[in-house]
Amino acid sequence: MEVLGDKDFQDEALLRPVGHLGKGFLLTVTILLGVVLWGIYAYSFQVRHGLGVTGLDRPVYWGFYITNFVFFIGISHAGTLISAILRLCQAEWRRSITRAAEVITVVVLFIGAANILLDLGRPDRALFVIFHGNLTSPLLWDVVSISTYLTGSTIYLYLPLIPDIAILRDRKARPQFLYRILSLGFTGTEKEKKRLHIAISIMAVIVIPIAISVHTVVSWVFAMTIQPMWHSTIFGPYFVVGAIFSGIAALILAMAIIRRAYHLQEYLKEIHFNNLGTLLLVMALLWFYFTFAEYLTTFYGGEPDEMAVFFAKVRGPYAPYFWAMVVTNFVIQFSILCNRKTRTVAGTVIASSSVIVGMWLERFTIVVPTLVNPRIPFPRGTYFPSWIEVSLMAASFAMFILLYMGFSKLFPIVSVWEMKEGREVSVAETAERVRTYLPGESEA
Amino acid sequence: MKRRDFLKLSGGATAGAVLAGLGFQNLLVHALPTGTEDSGTGVPGVPSWANTICQQCPGGCGVRVKLVDGRAINISGNPLYPINREGVCPKGISGLQALYDPDRIKGPLKRVGERGSGKWQQITWEEAVATVASELKALRQKGEPQSAVFVTGQVRGLMVDLFSRFALTYGTPNHIRHTSGIDGSALPSYLLQGVRQQIAYDLENASYILSFGSSFLEAGWSPVRQIRAYGILRQGKAGSRAKIVQIEPRLSMTAAKADEWVAINPGTDGALALGIARVILDERLYNESFLSQHTVGLEDWTDSSGQKHTGFKALVQQNYAVDRVAEITGVPVETIIRIAREFARNRPAIAMAEQEVAMHTAGLYARMAVHCLNALVGSIDTPGGTVLSMEVPLEPLPHVDKDAIAQRGLSFPRLDRAGSTEFPLAESAYEFLPEALATGKPYKAKALFLYYSNPLHSLADSARVRKALESVPLIVSFSPFPDDSTNIADLILPDHTYLERWQDDPMLPVTPHSVFGVRKPVVKPLFNTMHTGDFLIKLAQASGGSVAQAFPWKDFPAVIQHRVQGLFKARRGTIVQTEGEDAWAQQLAERGVWSPSYASFEEFWKQLVEKGGWWDPSYRFGEWSRVFRTPSGKFEFFSQILRERLVSLSGNQGLEALLKKARVEARGDLVFLPHFEPERFVGDEKSYPFHLNPYKLMAHGSNQPFLLEILGPQLNTRWDTWAELHPEEAKKLGVKDGDSIWLESPLGKIQTRAKLYVGTMPRVVNIPFGLGHEAGGRWAQGIGVNPNRIMSGVEFDRLAGFPALFATRIKISKA
Amino acid sequence: MARWGMVIDLDKCTGCQACVVACKVENNVPVVNAEEAAKGREMLWIRVMPTVEGEYPRIKMRFMPVLCQHCDHPPSTKVCPVGATYKNPEGIVAQIYPRCIGCRYCMNACPYTIKYFNWFRPQREEIQQNYLNPEVSLRPKGVVEKCTFCHHRLIKAREQAAVEKRSLREGDFTPACVESCPARAMYFGDLDDPTSTVSKLSKSSRAFRLLEELGTEPKVIYLTEGEWHGSVGR
Ligand SMILES: Nc1nc2c(c(=O)[nH]1)N[C@H]1C(S)=C(S)[C@@H](COP(=O)(O)OP(=O)(O)OC[C@H]3O[C@@H](n4cnc5c(=O)[nH]c(N)nc54)[C@H](O)[C@@H]3O)O[C@H]1N2
Ligand SMILES: Nc1nc2c(c(=O)[nH]1)N[C@H]1C(S)=C(S)[C@@H](COP(=O)(O)OP(=O)(O)OC[C@H]3O[C@@H](n4cnc5c(=O)[nH]c(N)nc54)[C@H](O)[C@@H]3O)O[C@H]1N2
Ligand code: SF4
Ligand code: SF4
Ligand code: SF4
Ligand code: SF4
Ligand code: SF4
Ligand SMILES: [Mo]
Repeated sequence: MEVLGDKDFQDEALLRPVGHLGKGFLLTVTILLGVVLWGIYAYSFQVRHGLGVTGLDRPVYWGFYITNFVFFIGISHAGTLISAILRLCQAEWRRSITRAAEVITVVVLFIGAANILLDLGRPDRALFVIFHGNLTSPLLWDVVSISTYLTGSTIYLYLPLIPDIAILRDRKARPQFLYRILSLGFTGTEKEKKRLHIAISIMAVIVIPIAISVHTVVSWVFAMTIQPMWHSTIFGPYFVVGAIFSGIAALILAMAIIRRAYHLQEYLKEIHFNNLGTLLLVMALLWFYFTFAEYLTTFYGGEPDEMAVFFAKVRGPYAPYFWAMVVTNFVIQFSILCNRKTRTVAGTVIASSSVIVGMWLERFTIVVPTLVNPRIPFPRGTYFPSWIEVSLMAASFAMFILLYMGFSKLFPIVSVWEMKEGREVSVAETAERVRTYLPGESEA
Repeated sequence: MKRRDFLKLSGGATAGAVLAGLGFQNLLVHALPTGTEDSGTGVPGVPSWANTICQQCPGGCGVRVKLVDGRAINISGNPLYPINREGVCPKGISGLQALYDPDRIKGPLKRVGERGSGKWQQITWEEAVATVASELKALRQKGEPQSAVFVTGQVRGLMVDLFSRFALTYGTPNHIRHTSGIDGSALPSYLLQGVRQQIAYDLENASYILSFGSSFLEAGWSPVRQIRAYGILRQGKAGSRAKIVQIEPRLSMTAAKADEWVAINPGTDGALALGIARVILDERLYNESFLSQHTVGLEDWTDSSGQKHTGFKALVQQNYAVDRVAEITGVPVETIIRIAREFARNRPAIAMAEQEVAMHTAGLYARMAVHCLNALVGSIDTPGGTVLSMEVPLEPLPHVDKDAIAQRGLSFPRLDRAGSTEFPLAESAYEFLPEALATGKPYKAKALFLYYSNPLHSLADSARVRKALESVPLIVSFSPFPDDSTNIADLILPDHTYLERWQDDPMLPVTPHSVFGVRKPVVKPLFNTMHTGDFLIKLAQASGGSVAQAFPWKDFPAVIQHRVQGLFKARRGTIVQTEGEDAWAQQLAERGVWSPSYASFEEFWKQLVEKGGWWDPSYRFGEWSRVFRTPSGKFEFFSQILRERLVSLSGNQGLEALLKKARVEARGDLVFLPHFEPERFVGDEKSYPFHLNPYKLMAHGSNQPFLLEILGPQLNTRWDTWAELHPEEAKKLGVKDGDSIWLESPLGKIQTRAKLYVGTMPRVVNIPFGLGHEAGGRWAQGIGVNPNRIMSGVEFDRLAGFPALFATRIKISKA
Repeated sequence: MARWGMVIDLDKCTGCQACVVACKVENNVPVVNAEEAAKGREMLWIRVMPTVEGEYPRIKMRFMPVLCQHCDHPPSTKVCPVGATYKNPEGIVAQIYPRCIGCRYCMNACPYTIKYFNWFRPQREEIQQNYLNPEVSLRPKGVVEKCTFCHHRLIKAREQAAVEKRSLREGDFTPACVESCPARAMYFGDLDDPTSTVSKLSKSSRAFRLLEELGTEPKVIYLTEGEWHGSVGR
């Protein structure tokens, strides 16, 4: 590709992290691997003895694993969905962030799906879902939509990656064979580029409904039952909004870390954080709106079984979680992100960290309090995770970071060719486009 | 069990094994231990059923044991058996966990370590017989056979008879039975009707049941029969639904299922009964004709010497004004009046009081007072009222001769003082035994035999009981289970469990009809155990002398066969059969036709064993000479029998001295009339503000996990003891539901979990009995607490020998 | 085809829990230990649920045995991803243990909270294996179980009827809990047969079903407690 021998190539910084394993990196990897290995031990312990080693009981049959499942699948909306929307809207500031976003999706989907496996009493029978799939089960819909999403997102990640892989191939980066195979012989001809653009656009259109379906279906796992405060018609959009919300937060955090660790301040600028911060604020407002609507209707209805769950959340044993959620997901967002002055890198990072916590709490307060307060008042349960669940949650996060870091060492985490394209083509193109928006200009 | 051990147990499979295979390997039961007996069909894997009698409690239900390859796999009710007709209770089913208890004693053991150290040596049964025989011989040679003590617990029939016979011919007056049980229950009818037999209630046909404390849906003499009767009173008969009023300090299961719960201050039932009597008398709601024809002592009367006596009516009218009764009992005046009216107007009505009314310092008078209510409304020997069960016509055992040593031994006073001036009316005073053993007065016990009895756990003031037991040089336990007392025995001679042995079961006289069940081995004994009956026969024969002569049988079943000849010869009754067949037989009987299903004794025996028992479905009401055997031949409000007994016992000592000793407060005529005396509590009200109310749960049985798992349905409690507090009182004490608390009496303190329960009287703390064993097996040991550790064993109803189990006061503190 | 159902007369039921233990024994339902029970992990396919109303001393406490309601519209079966629980043609909601993946979704979807999970491998002392019922399969750890309406008894009864060349009669098939009940508070039979006891009782004015408003159409029907109509003490 033209990068080679391109005298004007300005994006060397983007390629530098690839293949370069620094001390800090290795140390981090070691620690994370340790956590993952501990997780594997914890899981083997669980498999050996049974799910009884968790803090689950009757009637709290679902706990951390399912919370994590919903949470991670939510995070996955960061990537593909946001990137696709930005692409379709031709938001130029997207160029340096789409890749980082898309990777999150692919990696985190694995982690999310794995948490379902962790939750199974009989993981050895997991494939029964395929052999004996029962179409009326929302869980089966999940399996279908998540695997579709995973496929779609992987393709969607892969397509824009091809030119960069070609660059690495041409640079004789190692492992050569990998880059050779994955680059599919891409050389960067205009025809190829055009095709690539078309493919990317098509995928962008396709993944949006898939992404929305995924989290809708995840919500239906709960909403399709008739359990108090699960059986809700707005759960689909509510979950999608929450997913995008947490996804953006995850993206902001990832960007901040990449920017710091790989010295990419030039690429991931304040403006990116500012823009995403604004988006985060919008989502915070939307999230609040849904939450408010959901809880108000429940409260107004006053149905006793629903109220038991409602009160467990707002003033019962789950009140600390619930109110922490309100603070982290709304109060903090509102106070930081409304103000341009605080919508800085640091500000958005704080806000995002808070959303990550908040959205996890949201998932938790959806899953557990309903189970604790079943319609038949006996028994009333309690739930506190065991060390196994805590370990596996830590391992899930560690695994996610590990995979993400691994990716960034194999491929440029900021799209090289798109940056280049932006610089070379889009500036002019955008200027042109802006002109067409103005009065007196003919539509081109 | 520690969690780790549990995991070890439960996690036999490795991760690999789980991931491999799809779990099918776990699906079928393979390689089960093969059965010990080829009972049943004999076809492998094909189930068969065998009838026998349950013995998880005194209830006497007929059960059907399901067998596969000689293993007992299930227990259900015998549909033919008249006590329960197919129903069972959870304990009955859990009998499987008694039979297949992993902690059973597997053969005769001799202690080698310290007492209670758990170090045992296996011995053979020959050695066992020889050892005990030589110990007993030695006592006889020393001329002190009276120092051998035999305790038999909640069993009946031949085993008790054989122990009595052994004691009698051996020469000891000390065959001690449970007063807390049947003996005591027979006293009200003895004193008022002259028949020393428990009162039976025709519950099934009653319209109104006034139950004083008898928590008959959870415990009581025959729980399944009582629950079955309850079912009949509830929608079982078209157009009628009896009212049940449960009077007790705790909202028990029974109180919950009753139409009305009346909370009463503990130990004040006598006053309430008399208050109700007052209303009935004042408002003339009584059964005029019954009172005039069949009772004496209601009105004031003059005896043959011209002395004037107070009648029951005057007594009640002088002393039991309703407002005073309300004050004593805590039951509102309106309630007393209303209940009295309902009771008298909805006949047939039953007033019943069993042990919990008795187990107070003036319990006997209270029970008499309650029974007088039955007389007032004419519920004596009427359908739907109280009756006296027909006798089971068993063949008597042959006469015994006592040799000189035996006669000398028998002339000693009983160690428990039953029947003496200390416990004038008691036949046994089991609860006094610890005192007697500890003091060694009037003589020391040298050998103690425990059959179906676990005093270390079940007698009050555990520390004192332990001391008492330790003073006995030889303790022999026949228990198949390593219970608390067996654990500190010197010899354990394990009996078969009830599913492995032959035994007769003449039903307690608590139903109108006479019922006799046969318990048979449904599985072969699993271990090297021996029927205690067989052991007694062997022991007797090894002992020689008059003892050997009294036991001429080859084994225990031979004695049963001897006894049931009586049933065969009685020319009445029938082998148990379906309800339809019973109805038909009943019709025939009314026409004077008796058509038995058997022609010979062999046939009779075969059917008896196969079907599970014999019964006589007929009851003849109005045989007044049978139900009133008092001097007057009537129901005596003023008990002549009581007077005669007390006067003759007091002898030249004088009645006053006896009454003082018996701690009866009343004087004059009042002594012989039912009346109320306040409870003598242990622990003063100021320092110990709460009253301890221990009660029995349906799921009583401590090494049987099935029962531990369903322990307390009212508060959803299981696998532990708890104490019930009134929520307001708990609040005052700063105690929250589930908090750990101390219950402290003057005797000591125990720790348990608090449960806040609105069904508790404010000044009462309820605690279930049953857990807190020091031994007894892997499940029994180390869970819960035993209220007996803080209960006092010093107070009694001295007249009757009832222990005042409900007389302890306690205080509560947070732990 | 029969539509099996149960009627429980709450007026008669004393909460004795014979049914609870009868079911455990009949169906090889594992027993847990104290520590597990403290977490609510005890397994009782049928359990007695107490409720308390009122204030001291005017308290009404009720007991209600609750088992799988064998809903005609079972929310639990629809959600199973592998079809390990389903409603059979006779209306019995069944479990296929070798199929279950242990996701516990059905348990969460059941509004009656009446399914049980094998948190561990069932723990049984060797001697206790003697009383295992060979007619009922044992469940491994990690799968869900619940009341089957004693389906194995139905199979046996049907075989027996076939041998005797007749159709199934009322009383041929009685679940273990019904059989044990000392108060005779439980009835079982074909709800579609207008002559059966259960179908007659189900039309009683005392009849109601648990959480009826959810539309689950339970086939366990309860009869409310009655009232006393005697001569009052006025
Ligand atoms: N399931 C089961 N059945 C049993 C037994 C068992 O352990 N379990 N044991 C058998 C034996 S040996 C016996 S002796 C019988 C005993 O059978 P019951 O006598 O029926 O049983 P308890 O539990 O001893 O009775 C205690 C009840 O009396 C109440 N009570 C306490 N003090 C007073 C009082 O002062 N006045 C009144 N009115 N009530 C009071 C308590 O609240 C409690 O409900 O049961 C027999 N049957
Ligand atoms: N606090 C308190 N104390 C009480 C009572 C109470 O309600 N509260 N109740 C009182 C009453 S009413 C009674 S009747 C007594 C009961 O007290 P006990 O008569 O001591 O009865 P259990 O504690 O049941 O002990 C009976 C023992 O018999 C043994 N056993 C079981 N099966 C067999 C067998 O097949 N053969 C032989 N040989 N032995 C066997 C068992 O080891 C068991 O420990 O407790 C009294 N003590
Ligand atoms: S009431 Fe007693 S005798 Fe009857 S089944 Fe229950 S434990 Fe056995
Ligand atoms: S066995 Fe009968 S009386 Fe006992 S709890 Fe069950 S349904 Fe109620
Ligand atoms: S009660 Fe629950 S488990 Fe049973 S059929 Fe209904 S929803 Fe399913
Ligand atoms: S736990 Fe088993 S039966 Fe229940 S939904 Fe999951 S796979 Fe189906
Ligand atoms: S019907 Fe059978 S499986 Fe269901 S609760 Fe009753 S005994 Fe248990
Ligand atoms: Mo007793």
